[in-house]
Amino acid sequence: MNLFRKVSFVVFLLMSCTTHAADLYTVQEGYKVDPETMKGFRAWRAAACDRCHGANQQGLVGPSLIDRLKVLSKDEFAKTVSEGRLEKGMPSFKTSSIVMSNIDQLYAYLKGRSDGAITRSKVEPIK
Amino acid sequence: MRVHLRVLALPLALLAAAGVAQANKDVEKLIANPSNWAMQAGDMYNQRYSKLKQINTSNVGKMQVAWTFSTGVLRGHEGSPLVIGDMMYLHSPFPNKVFAMDLNTQTLKWKYEPKQDPAVIPQMCCDTVNRGLAYAEGKVFLQQADSVLVALDAKTGKVVWSVKNGDPSLGAVNTNAPHIFKDKVITGISGGEWGVRGFVAAYNINNGELAWKGYSTGPDDEMLIDPNTTTTWKDGKVQPVGADSSLSTWQDDQWKIGGGTTWGWYSYDKALNLMYYGSGNPSTWNPAQRPGDNKWSMAIWARDVDTGKVKWVYQMTPYDEWDFDGVNEMILADINVKGKPTKALVHFDRNGFGYTLDRTNGALLVAKKYDPAVNWATHVDMKSGRPQVVSRYSTAQNGPDVNTKGVCPAALGSKDQQPAAFSPGTGLFYVPTNHVCMDYEPFQVEYVAGQPYVGATLAMYPAPNSHGGMGNFIAWDANAGKIVQSKAEKFSVWSGVLTTAGGLACYGTLEGYLKCVDAKNINKELFKFKTPSGIIGNVFTYQHKGKQYLGVYSGIGGWAGIGLAAGLEKDADGLGAVGGYRELANYTDLGGSLTIFTLPQK
Repeated sequence: MNLFRKVSFVVFLLMSCTTHAADLYTVQEGYKVDPETMKGFRAWRAAACDRCHGANQQGLVGPSLIDRLKVLSKDEFAKTVSEGRLEKGMPSFKTSSIVMSNIDQLYAYLKGRSDGAITRSKVEPIK
Repeated sequence: MRVHLRVLALPLALLAAAGVAQANKDVEKLIANPSNWAMQAGDMYNQRYSKLKQINTSNVGKMQVAWTFSTGVLRGHEGSPLVIGDMMYLHSPFPNKVFAMDLNTQTLKWKYEPKQDPAVIPQMCCDTVNRGLAYAEGKVFLQQADSVLVALDAKTGKVVWSVKNGDPSLGAVNTNAPHIFKDKVITGISGGEWGVRGFVAAYNINNGELAWKGYSTGPDDEMLIDPNTTTTWKDGKVQPVGADSSLSTWQDDQWKIGGGTTWGWYSYDKALNLMYYGSGNPSTWNPAQRPGDNKWSMAIWARDVDTGKVKWVYQMTPYDEWDFDGVNEMILADINVKGKPTKALVHFDRNGFGYTLDRTNGALLVAKKYDPAVNWATHVDMKSGRPQVVSRYSTAQNGPDVNTKGVCPAALGSKDQQPAAFSPGTGLFYVPTNHVCMDYEPFQVEYVAGQPYVGATLAMYPAPNSHGGMGNFIAWDANAGKIVQSKAEKFSVWSGVLTTAGGLACYGTLEGYLKCVDAKNINKELFKFKTPSGIIGNVFTYQHKGKQYLGVYSGIGGWAGIGLAAGLEKDADGLGAVGGYRELANYTDLGGSLTIFTLPQK
């Protein structure tokens, strides 16, 4: 994470254009993101989170993650993903290696969406 | 009737010995009396037609609510109750409650609520629907979400037997109604988005013993396919399928996690002793991961009910690239096709084509678009039976990580599970349809047991350059392959249709309206009533103490209620927000209830 932050910072410094940066993620033009945040997006897609939370995280049968990520702490988020909320229909992703090994990146991606910094669901790598 | 009562009175042990023929006779006798609604479709042909005509075109406008009943469950309510004599048997979505109601007093005689591991709820993402019960010989059959199939004593609600039909921890859950044909209770499996390998299983109604199980994919013997006697449509004629008809169409062992699930409505022709059903999408939704025709996903099946042996099979969408599940109901009707009286099977596929086949041998007779918006294929080649795919809309040709835009229909099909009806009066089929298109972007996905295995991102929206709505209610001529009449609807029509001898065709809408139209002119709306929630249930009718009643579950949910919304708010391209889902929220909210209508007292 430390290295990631440094990288983000360097990237931020290098980009004199309208780069939106935070500790967690780096984003340009609303949809170009750093490699780690890309991993988070890929985990989101692979785990089919959109089936319940909506293609744009806007919420369907599951709650809007745009809203929830404003409320949940990072630990609460990680616990919910790992253990699920079965009664409410949220599965446990404990056995999904793509989700569990990218939990920080997934959080970064969704936080970026929730913050409004990442302006669309589908992101692309910064070139 | 005397025989029937005697059978009911027999102790269970003796009942088991009463043998094969009785089961069919009991259900047959019940469905022959139009006062009952003894099967989910009203009959074994899936016609959804009632001979009752007390409520008819001249008086349906006066219909009023007779009574209502809350199931106490939110989420999507599909299917309908059953009516057997004085009793009504109701079901609910997860937790799959069963209510036995005495229609004389509208009080509950018993209630059953199974204990199920809540872990099954997320495995049913995104809705916990159940399509209803079956009844035979004094037993009520419930196919629970967690795959457990239960026979309940219709008098007491006590469990007579139960059997586990799948492994829910791997995503093998159930939403379908069980079906009774002869002495078997026949059920399928869901979980195409979890890589579940589809099958149909037949259990003995008396003790739950597995009689046979036929898979949708894999080795011939596991599908109960005989390479020499099982036939399919090839080169313009009915021919034996040949050896390894499934295995030769998959790369490596992908078929083991290759879907072909079976959660639709089954039908049965007693004279041919064949049951008919469809198999669903191949897994994953990313076609690049499964080159080949992926047989026999996306197929119509005809199986011998006694042995499960496949008489014939026909694949509608070889190498699916759009999630056009083939599970929709097969309606059996004896109609004229091409000038000849034909034992027809009529099927409105998710892929947007309405098929008419000869149900005795699976010969392809008619395949035409039943929504003019359908664009992914130009037509079905009648010789090969294959749809002719338009490259521009081929998500396989465009490849993974490419967003293929403007495909019609959307993944939920020109029609999904919501069953159509046939009217012998007009000779037409009444079809509740979706008028929705999509963008589809497949991507590489890895299989993890018990985890979602989808591999595509979708955005759905109303068919462009049309009336702006997301549904049509149509009348279809299965001989000509033509839409005879079409009635635009604001939202997908996700409710099963009822036709009656009273000249009516009735259906529900997602806003929550129950509508009855003139079957001769479906644009003539004769009755409209706003029920408590959006309707995805099936309209049914029965007669009690000489009075005809008509009813429907309301309770928004299912893919229509929640999935339809996916991507409706498009932020990435020029189509803009169409606000479909949010607009639905202006009309309705969750909540399961039954509304029963009748004519006012004179």
